[in-house]
This record gives sequence, structure tokens and C-alpha cells, in this order.
Amino acid sequence: MSAALSFKNPEALLAYAEKVKKYRQQRTMEIRVCAGPGCIARGGREIFSAIKATIEKNKKELKKKNLEVGVKFEAKCTGCHGLCEAGPVVTFEPSKLFYSKVKIKDAEEIVEKTVLNDEIIKRLLFKSCDSRGGDLIKKYTDIRFYALQTKVALRNVGVVDPSNLDDFIAEDGFKAFVKALTEMSPDDVIEEIEKSGLRGRGGAGFSTGKKWRSAKRVKQDRVWIICNGDEGDPGAFMDRAIMEGDPYSVIEGLLIGAYALGATDGFIYVRHEYPLAVKHLQMAINTLEKAGLLGKNILGTGMTFNLKISRGGGAFVCGESSALMRSLEGKVGEPRAKYIRSVEKGLLDQPTVLNNVETFTCVPAIIDKGSSWFASIGPKSSTGTKAFSLVGKVKNTGLVEVPMGRTLREIIFDIGGGIIDDRPFKAVQTGGPSGGCLPVDKLDLPVDFDTLSRAGAMMGSGGMIVMDDRTCMVDIADYFIRFLIGESCGKCVPCREGLRQVHELLDRIIRGDGELDDLKKIDRLCHTMEVASLCALGKSAPYPVTSTIKYFRDEYMAHIEEKKCPAGVCKSLVKYDINKDCIGCLICKKQCPVDAISGENKKLHVIDQDKCIVCGICYEVCPVDTVDIISGGEIVNRRELEVVNP
Amino acid sequence: MNSETKTKASKKKAAVLKSDTNGKLDQIFDLYPREEDSLIMILQEVQDRLNWLPPEALDRVADELNVPRARVQGVATFYRAFSLEPRGEKVIKVCLGTACHVRGAQILVDELERRLDLKVSHGCTKDGRFSLETVNCVGACAMAPAIVVNENYYANVKPDKLDKMLKKEQQS
Amino acid sequence: MPKDRSEKVRVTIDGRSIDAEKGKSILEVARECGIEIPSLCYHPGLESFGACRLCVVEITKPGWEGWKKLVTSCLYPVEEELIIDTRSEEVRENRSVVLDLLLARVPESDVIRQLAAEYGIHDTSYTKREDADTCIMCTICVRVCDAIGANAIATLSRGPDKYVDVPDKDACIGCLACALSCPTNAIPFEEFVNGKRKIWGREFDLVYDEISHEPIGTPEQIDHFAEKSGLPKEYFLKSDKVRKKETAVTFARVQF
Repeated sequence: MSAALSFKNPEALLAYAEKVKKYRQQRTMEIRVCAGPGCIARGGREIFSAIKATIEKNKKELKKKNLEVGVKFEAKCTGCHGLCEAGPVVTFEPSKLFYSKVKIKDAEEIVEKTVLNDEIIKRLLFKSCDSRGGDLIKKYTDIRFYALQTKVALRNVGVVDPSNLDDFIAEDGFKAFVKALTEMSPDDVIEEIEKSGLRGRGGAGFSTGKKWRSAKRVKQDRVWIICNGDEGDPGAFMDRAIMEGDPYSVIEGLLIGAYALGATDGFIYVRHEYPLAVKHLQMAINTLEKAGLLGKNILGTGMTFNLKISRGGGAFVCGESSALMRSLEGKVGEPRAKYIRSVEKGLLDQPTVLNNVETFTCVPAIIDKGSSWFASIGPKSSTGTKAFSLVGKVKNTGLVEVPMGRTLREIIFDIGGGIIDDRPFKAVQTGGPSGGCLPVDKLDLPVDFDTLSRAGAMMGSGGMIVMDDRTCMVDIADYFIRFLIGESCGKCVPCREGLRQVHELLDRIIRGDGELDDLKKIDRLCHTMEVASLCALGKSAPYPVTSTIKYFRDEYMAHIEEKKCPAGVCKSLVKYDINKDCIGCLICKKQCPVDAISGENKKLHVIDQDKCIVCGICYEVCPVDTVDIISGGEIVNRRELEVVNP
Repeated sequence: MNSETKTKASKKKAAVLKSDTNGKLDQIFDLYPREEDSLIMILQEVQDRLNWLPPEALDRVADELNVPRARVQGVATFYRAFSLEPRGEKVIKVCLGTACHVRGAQILVDELERRLDLKVSHGCTKDGRFSLETVNCVGACAMAPAIVVNENYYANVKPDKLDKMLKKEQQS
Repeated sequence: MPKDRSEKVRVTIDGRSIDAEKGKSILEVARECGIEIPSLCYHPGLESFGACRLCVVEITKPGWEGWKKLVTSCLYPVEEELIIDTRSEEVRENRSVVLDLLLARVPESDVIRQLAAEYGIHDTSYTKREDADTCIMCTICVRVCDAIGANAIATLSRGPDKYVDVPDKDACIGCLACALSCPTNAIPFEEFVNGKRKIWGREFDLVYDEISHEPIGTPEQIDHFAEKSGLPKEYFLKSDKVRKKETAVTFARVQF
């Protein structure tokens, strides 16, 4: 409504919220264009501009149809809708109509047909992968991907325009903060969070309420509150989606935390790979400072809270709390041993509470709806919901949020729709480099903090990478070790030297030079890394290796004893061959970077094995799938018959 | 170091810097408190303006914030966001997150190295247009494998799409 | 807040009951009692760092029902009832792996070879580093240089590629504190080559005591110490021997 909002007291904010809601009740149609990372890459923003331009052109027409722009009708750009696979996504409220794979040139048609004439454009409807026939689904609420989710942390992502404070307020934004401020004492807030059973969403799963309480016990003048947005696990983007799509909720969580702890200063530490998150959070902070919700004398209550953004420097280890704090102090991000906890001596040796983005985002929901509501979701020891990024070889890649305790199978096969091309499921990797790979017989495990840890993986921050039979588990183990070599701070011997040696040993196996004794050496090294490393990065570094050796030992053995990579991935152990079904289309010949393929139009192509560098491009580009991958004398890329069905 | 040698050294550095960076850095030191806490943010501002961290810029940062030069070097080489070599106008970042890895990102890195005649994180193409980097997950896992060129995201990149991407980035 | 500065806690180390000063680390307490715990990155004059992981010990408490935990003794503070085992099988196993890893890093280091031999390792089981020097990245040199206030040395890069260097040669005062504190003699230096000192690729003049004609240090070093300590520069222009002599004369004049 107005750009220069400023609230002198809590009542003024509540009154304004009522006004906004009332005004919005007139709205009879709303278009939400997704500007999540996936949709932006495919032109989401340009689609939004095109729709906006068409609306502008049709303003009179819209008014005639009782869709006055800004009053009865609005088009907005939101954060991630979740189903990235179908992007760019455009949805309609209140009809819940869902358009997928929208192109810029569709904008005019969308406005003219769907907005002005209630006409559904069939080609933009989502084709479900649930049913083999490919049913067209009109409403997103009917898509299984959405229907099976429960949104708490992601409640506003994809709903609000992240740059619009009114939008947030219309969704009950700051209601919880005002409630805490006016009806609850700081200790009441901590008790409520403790009772809700909320555990840190960053991976370790420590009780948030307990953490707050112990920080409060330390007698010190100054307490810091830090939001960890250094989402470093590869394959995870939940926090990115929240910071980009709903920055105000993160800040509201921080405000409630600051009130409970008596903190006057806070930071949001955002990794440098997320420039859009920085932009949206900074916009939100600027708006809130003007609105009297950040800075001095917040809502006229005398509360002070200064919030700053700190851009990370690009170091995975800074997700570790003591390293993150060193980074905030302008130093090299080396962790410290945690015999003294950061709630007592953290930033500048002062008590510091550090929670992750998703954790802070849950806080307002808990204060608003009550701890018993939150505790009623999921199993007793892991309450609430958890957001996951469901990626890899799964059909419905995207962002999902489910109650804790759902099984891996439900998430991967019901919500995720199963494996791409219906290939066999091999493993799911959870918890990033600190987690592990779980095989098919673990699919029925409920996903919560404790169960996955017991199975040798870890729920972690919520990355869930699905792997099929074309993923080599030795290669995956080595991938994580290489990742960690690049990210280790290099301070302590077991992590710095151990990672280098584990990589050497895995590399030998991958090259076909491995011996049985190498597995023993890896085992021993992994044990020392786990118990003797300085920080959590080193201590958990062996898990991707130990879990794959535990569950996929036969694959290691195939590499060592038969010199065969059953997944057809490890270059030294595979070769490519074109089979007789080749249609002679010349595509692979053109794409081959070393001209190793010969053959004429409509004639069988042949790979010169002496020239071939096993890059795999021919396999990737063949339109009729006639390139075979051969390892250990067998074709290994053809689909196995037993498909794991949900 | 005694004060005399220190002044001499900093005068020399200041002279070098002026000729190289045209006073692009003059304003940034007022953006943050002049203390060690600001080091990473200041280095980010420098890199935003110069696209890399030349040695004389690091000298000046050390002087302005009164942080030992050695520590500035330590921080600049620790964090991956910083480049101590000149980078191309456009930085091609191939995501090597897990989702991208299982969908074949390494093939893209190999192929780009070949096409651009460039090694990852080392220098730029002869025309100064591109440099090549890998990144451990850009959080765009749903569109794996992903490549980011400056601010442009490329989704589900296959080796045969690289030509088109490079052409587009060469022209714009 | 402990009133008595030397508040005691009772701990058991390798079966010996010891009254230890609260606030001290397990390593300090053990060494005071003559119980040797090997370490490489620990330096009594510097804050504990906890990087080499050689000083790991196993701890438990009566209430822990047999549960044991491996901790770094240079960092872990002594606590009431703590039972410490510095030589358990788990401790020896992890020290062996750490030494084996270090041997792969610095195969030419006599210090590491000797330590490894004590744990029965005569050749590393792992891949040796190519063109290896003898630096084990304990960073004592960096921390000593910082403590002196010269701040010339830093760790550069990260992970397995991490190394120590002096990025700004002008900052080095040539005091040799780094080289002389290095546990593996990894910092090369030369004295008296044409009357000069060479370290970190830089050449320093040497200042001699006027009376005894012994070398004292570099002009940069003397300036630095005079500035940091606030003492007159003349104080630093004397060799240890001459200073001792003077002190003896002074004391002879004083009547006790």
C-alpha cells in the first residue's frame, strides 16, 4: 500500500495488518510466477515481465471483466514453488490452477485466455508422472508432489512476493513477534520453543530451546544471535529458497530469538554463492529498519536489535559454528575444539546463539500456533516438519517439506514420483558430505534425526540425492572425499592428511589398481579421522566412504577383483561401443571432441578405441541410445529387469 | 618494523596502487569500521570492483585496516570467493554439487577445459573473455547439471548445448 | 570464580592419583608429574592449538559407566574425578595412524621418523608426498611470530595445500624465533655468510656487541624489541654474556 511504513507500537502494526487483509479480500484473482532458482534459469523473470506487460496493455479490458489491477487482480513474482522439474511455473489463486514449463511467448495467451476468459490452456498443464498414461492435472493441490506435503518452514515460499512487506503481513507476518512482545516474557518464549521439541535444522539436531536457555544462563552483558545461512552441503538448497523467497520470516524468527535472549546484535551469515538471498534479505532489513521493526526502540517498546548480513567468503567449513564465528571476525575460518561451547564463548568470546535458517523460520510458526501444535507433528523425538531438496535421478526434482517420520520411500517414490526413466533405484544420499548412502533395503526407514544416524547416514540439513544403477558408489565416495579435500581448512592432521590418503586409495581402486588390503587401510584411516579430527567436518568426513563400503561392498569388490565398474562410470575401467542399432545420424561423430568416431550418414558408426578418451559425450548425445558402456567385458548400461517399485 | 621503514614501504605501495586501479578503491574503506573484523567484507568489495585481488590492493587493505599483510594474504587465499589471479570478463562456473555430479557435470568441465584451452581456476582465455571455475554446489540442484556464467544460469546442460551457451555469452 | 588461584581438582592419570590445578590442561598436568605425552604443535609459551592430534588421550569418569572418549590433552581442561589413560590401545592406535600420516607428509624428517619408530612404524603405509619438505603445519612459527608482534608469517591456502610463508618479506625482522621454535627444523636459515643472516629469502645485517664482539641480532629485530618493550634500545645492544657480567657487577654493589 504505502512505501514508507512505520509502526510506532504493536497495536499500530496489528491494525495495519487488519487493513491490508481487508483490502486484499477484494482480490478475486492472483497470478504467482515462480522466481525460484530453477525457474529463473529457465526464464521465470522474463515471463513475469511479459505477463506484467500484457496486463498493462489489457488494463481496460480487465477492468471491464471486474478484474481491476491492484485491487481485484494482481500478478506477482514469488520464491520457489517447489516442483522445479515443471518450471517455469505459473499458478493462479484462488483457483489453484497450475501451469508448467511456461515460455515467454505464452504470456499473452495466459492473460487473454486464462485471465480474461477463464479458459484453460491445455498444453501448459502438468503431465503427471504418477500415472503412466500421463494425466493432465489442473490444480496443484491435485498433484501428488504437493498433496503429500505439509508446509511450515516453507509456508510463505512461493506464496509471497519477497520484496513486499504487505504480502508478508497479509500472511500473518509479525503476528507471532507481536504476540511474544506483548503477551509473553522472554522466558515464556524459550519455554514454548523448548516444549515444541524443535531441534536445529542445520544437521546436528540440538534442541533449540535448550541452546537458548544455556546461552541465557551465562552471565554476560552481551549475547549474539547468528543465523547460519552458509548452506554448504552439495545437493541442498532449502535455506536458499527460504532466504530468497521469504526473507521476512527468517528475520521474524531472529527478532523473536533476540527478544527471548536479550540480544541487541545479530548477523545473518549467507554464503557468497547466494547473491539473490543477500539482495532480498538486505531489502527486507532496510524496509524493517524504516518500519520500526529493526534498530532502536522496536515498535516503541524500547527493544533494540541491529541485524547485519555477512557474506561468506566461500568455505564449506564455515558452516561449522566455531569456524563461522572466526570468519565473522575477519579471520581464516579454522574451527576451534569445542570443549568450551559457543553459547558460552562464541563470537568475540561472548555468548553466542547460532541457529540455521530453517530453524529460525519455524520459530514464528511455533509462537503463533503453539508448541503443542508443532509437537503433534512427527514422532516425539523429532517433532515438526523438515524441508528437503529432492534431487539427483528422481522424476520430480524440487523442494519438499514433510512431517518428520515419513519414510524415504514415501519421499522418493510418492512425492518424487520414482526414478528417472524408471531405472532401478540404487541409493539415496542424505546429509551431504557428513552423511551417508542408504541402499534399497533402507527405503522404509522413517526420516528423522535419530533413525538415519543409526543407519550410518544422517538427516543433515536436508539434501536428498537419489541415485540409480548408473551411479557408481566408489565414485560417489571419492566425489565426497574430493569435495572435502577442497573444503578442509587444513588445520588438523587426521583431516588434512587423512583425506589426501583416502583419496589416493580410492583413486587406485577406481583406476583398477586396487587391492583388498586397500580397503583395510581405508577402514583404519576412517576410524582415526572419525575419533581424532578436530571438528565435525573431519569427524564426519569418513561417513560417505564407510557407508558405501558397508552397503555396497560388492561394488568395491567388482572394482578390485574383476576390474569392473558395474555402473559404467569409472573411466579407466570402461569403454564405449556403438551397437548395430545405430541409425547413422552423425550426431555423436560431430560432438566427439577427439574425432574418434567414423561413419557416414545412415551407416553404422564406429569408435576408434585408440583415439577415444572415454569422455562419454557420444553416450550422452545419442538420440536412439545405441552407445553401449562396456566394463569387465560386459555391457553395463542396459537396464536391469528388476525395477524397484513403490 | 620501525616507523620509518613502515612509512617508506606504504608510500611505495600507494604509488603503485594509484597507477593500477585508478582510485576505484578510495570509497570502500569508509563503508565498514577500519578493523580486522571488516577484512573479509572489504576484500569482497575490492573484488567486486576489480574482479580479482591484485597484490597492491592487498597491500592497501592491510594498511587501511591496520591488519598485518601476512594475515590479509592468509584470508585472501583461504576463502574461495577470492581470486588472486586476473579473471576473464565472464566467469564460467560449473557446479560440481552432488546432484550435478551424478548427472554428469565432470564431462562438462573436461569439455570446457578443452574448448577454451583453459584449466579450472587458472587464468583466462587469450581474449580475456572467459575464465573457468568449478563450484561446490550453487544450490540449483533441481536443474542439474547447472552452469552459471556471471549471473546467468544454464539448466540441464548437456555437452552438445555448450556451443550454444558459449556463443551466447561471447556475443552479449 | 575461584577465590584461591590454585584451586585443585583430583584426577587420575595412568592410575596415579594427582591433585591438579584447575584450569590447566591434561597435557600440562601430566608433564608436571613426569608423565610424557607426545606432542608436536604444543608450545608452552603459546595458546594451545590442537592441530597435530598426537597428544590425544582417553578419558572417562566414574559415572560414565565405562564409556570412554578420545580428547586432545593440550586443550582439554582437567576436571574433578577425571580418569585419564595416556597409553591405552585406542590412544596408541590413533597416534600410530597420525604418525604414519605425518611420515607420508614428511618422509625426510628425522624427528618424525624417530617418533614413528617408537610406535613401530619404519616406513609409511601411505603415499609419500612428492618434493616433500619437513614442515608438518603445526603453525608454531606463525603463532610465535604473532606473539612477538612481527606478524610476518601466515598460513596460506587451505586443506592439504596449506603452507606457511612470509608474504611480505619487509615484515620479517630476522629474529629466528620461528626457525628455532620449529619442532621439525623445517625453516632453513644461514648465519655468518659474509657476516649476514639469511632467512625467508631475505638477507639481514648483524649487530655485534661492542665489548664482546658477539653477534646479537639484526637491526630490525633490535628496533622491534625496543619499540614493543618500551626499554631503551641500548639494552638490546648487549650480548647475553655481557649483560650477565654487568648484572653480576651490579649485584656485587648492592648490599642485601
